[in-house]
Amino acid sequence: MKSQDLKVLAKKSDQYLEYETDELMTWCGGCGNYAIQNAVKRSLVLENIDHQNILFCFDIGCSGNESDKIQGYTIHGLHGRILPLAAGAKIANPNLTVIATAGDGATLSEGVNHLIHAIRNDYPILFLLHDNQNYALTTGQASSTSPRGCRRNAAPEGVPVDPLNPLELVLSQKPSFVAQTTSSHPDHMTDTFRKALNHKGFAFVSILQTCPTYNKQTSNQWYLENTIEVETIKKYDHTNIWDARKIVESENEKIPLGLIYQNPKKTNFLNAMENGKPRNLTKEVKHYDVSKLY
Amino acid sequence: MNRIRLKIVGQSGSGLLTVGDIVSQGLNQLGFQLCSDREYPSLIKGGHSCYTINFANHPIRSLSHTADILVAIDKPSLVAYHQALKPKGTLIHGYERTQGIKDILDQAKKKNITIISTKARQLAHTYGGNELMANVILTGMVWKALGFELKIVQKLFEKKFQRKPEISKIAIKCLKAAFNEVKKISDIPLPTKKKTRKLLDGNHSLALGAVHAGVRFYVAYPMSPSSSILTHMANMSTKTGVIVKQAEDEITVAQLALGAIHGGTRALCATSGGGFDLMTETVSLAGIIETPLVIIIVQRPGPGTGLPTWTAQGDLNLAIHAGHGEFTRLVIGVSDPVDTYNNIQHALNYAEKYQIPVILLSDKVTAESKHTIDPKDFESIAIERNLTEGKDLKKLASSDRYALTKSGVSKRWLPGSCKTWYFANSDEHKEDGVLTEEGEEAGKMYAKRNRKLETLLEELPEPTLYGDIKADISFIGWGSTRTTMLDIIEFYKDKNISVNYLHYDYLWPLKTKMFEKVHKNNANIHLIEGNYLGQLGNLLEQKTGLKLKQKFLKYDGRPFFIEDVIEYIDKHTKS
Repeated sequence: MKSQDLKVLAKKSDQYLEYETDELMTWCGGCGNYAIQNAVKRSLVLENIDHQNILFCFDIGCSGNESDKIQGYTIHGLHGRILPLAAGAKIANPNLTVIATAGDGATLSEGVNHLIHAIRNDYPILFLLHDNQNYALTTGQASSTSPRGCRRNAAPEGVPVDPLNPLELVLSQKPSFVAQTTSSHPDHMTDTFRKALNHKGFAFVSILQTCPTYNKQTSNQWYLENTIEVETIKKYDHTNIWDARKIVESENEKIPLGLIYQNPKKTNFLNAMENGKPRNLTKEVKHYDVSKLY
Repeated sequence: MNRIRLKIVGQSGSGLLTVGDIVSQGLNQLGFQLCSDREYPSLIKGGHSCYTINFANHPIRSLSHTADILVAIDKPSLVAYHQALKPKGTLIHGYERTQGIKDILDQAKKKNITIISTKARQLAHTYGGNELMANVILTGMVWKALGFELKIVQKLFEKKFQRKPEISKIAIKCLKAAFNEVKKISDIPLPTKKKTRKLLDGNHSLALGAVHAGVRFYVAYPMSPSSSILTHMANMSTKTGVIVKQAEDEITVAQLALGAIHGGTRALCATSGGGFDLMTETVSLAGIIETPLVIIIVQRPGPGTGLPTWTAQGDLNLAIHAGHGEFTRLVIGVSDPVDTYNNIQHALNYAEKYQIPVILLSDKVTAESKHTIDPKDFESIAIERNLTEGKDLKKLASSDRYALTKSGVSKRWLPGSCKTWYFANSDEHKEDGVLTEEGEEAGKMYAKRNRKLETLLEELPEPTLYGDIKADISFIGWGSTRTTMLDIIEFYKDKNISVNYLHYDYLWPLKTKMFEKVHKNNANIHLIEGNYLGQLGNLLEQKTGLKLKQKFLKYDGRPFFIEDVIEYIDKHTKS
């Protein structure tokens, strides 16, 4: 984020404030969710997204508890199921900007099938994975991204198996947009979300999130020291899936941030179904003559 | 004219579907009314299948398990089904090595059965056809034996093979050869008034009714016997514009449908009991966020995989109780193509009017039996969306969305339609959707959602009574049973036994006034239901404290055949 953007934001402070609710925040002090919510609001304002036509879709967990803490049309669904629920709304009304939010438990355990098929179908929605490497709202059990050996609630001797790497999984499915950012870097998040909002297909954004209560290993400082922005890597080509796969699979190097991979040529679900002319199905509910159809 | 009962039997994949479809279409063109169904195992090749056609020159709604005419395509099916043939009936077969079926043929002769046979495969080869062409020959044999004109079936085959002119030529030669081989055995009077009827099954008419009512998104995962709804929706989609999606599992199906309805269109999904099990969490979600949802369960026997291609009425309790927590829902049962077409429209309306899940119960026999229907019986029911739109949007407050109204129903408007946002919150919430864990607020919202049940119960019609209020024997039932009971009432009209039947279209919430009246007037009152527990009967007994005399239950995957009910009535009316 450039200082120029901050000036633009200052001018649009009324728009920014429109997203504020007077509900009491229920996250812990220092939770990454505060910064994520701020970056989401900044990116929506900077990209001039029509507030009235946004549908915020929340899964269950600490991230889901935002569902009444941001002003707008929101839907708070069931654990693991937010992707098909959000995709359904987008199919009905392509004019909506649909933003789905879920944690690592929902996305990579309870509903991992939905993630795979959301990528395959390339539903044109923005998906924010809040990855804090634990199940925080149920008091800190291990998730499938908790590192091997780390201690968690119900894993007193340390997690006995290897974690799953979300980016490896996603990149193996020929996605159209993959980015990674961290709640420890609000400006980087804002820039990443802006790019994702402009993508025409399924925009997968992994957010490496701090959880000061249940995950002491990855503090803000830790994320800033152990990550690298791909834009700074020589010859890194985000349109080359092998560059992307190589960087997310290399274990001894820093964790990559930024636009990891994009394939703008992939045809999203709505364009594939409707020959490039998505219709607003909310305007089509009326009687149809079926007498010639049988 | 009595109904004529025809059964065509063969192994799956042998082509009996062709014989059955052509004969059915031909009978419809002649002006007969018919009901047909295919019994088949859950496999693609082999196993015995049976295509039953009952026809007459008056309404026929139900099926028989015996036959006047049996058409056997191959030996294994003949062995499996020959006992269904009534004495003095007709056996038509194309099996050449009669030595192997000597016992069956001898038994048939003892029952005074007329046997009509040709060496179908040999005949087909003579005219350049393959083994499947034997089906054309059998069709010709049946048609000639029934005494009908060649040109009707000839045209149907020409239409069937219109894209394959070479095959068409061979088929017509085979058909004509079959006609020459066989003698006419019956003199069936043709219907005098020819009326244009359509031959449709319940799944097809469900798809049509849904399209008519403005469903713009259909999503499903294949599961017998619901799968053909997906096929019909997909085949019609270029003409209807409906977006049709085969999703990755039933959980996704229900969530996509609910999301699309929340987004603002009319969406629909269908499955069978096992798939519905996976959808139940979504039913519960729809309950708390008060987003409408319509799910079709085309029933087959469970539990587990059960009998995938057979029928049942075993999922009534499932539909009524599915999903955690308590909330208002509507359960509707359908029985034939016409009421399926009409009731899917009601289902979509009630879901939006009350912002509740609506579960529509069909079953295999309703879904797949073809009936001759009069398109005039298809109703066009006004679409009721109960949405706040236009100028009224300006008057809204966020707290209108889940306002604690007396009826339990609050205002609903679509995301994006105005700047008055609301939170559709699966956590317990206040009137604008903001989460609450305060006891008083939570209790009030919980009660509001459940209050809709009373409002809905008030609006629903009482069940329909067929026959007079007093009868020698009374039945209570729902779903596909109606088709059999309507034919039964007709059957007993001139037999000095009166029968009445109380039919439930709306199964939950449960109306009981009419039931109480029928119960008061009829001591000889019986439940007729396709399950083991007598689920509807139990609900009625629990709610009214009244007892039914006896429960006539069937749970072997077969529907109530006309003979089953005749036997039951004869047993329970002799005193």
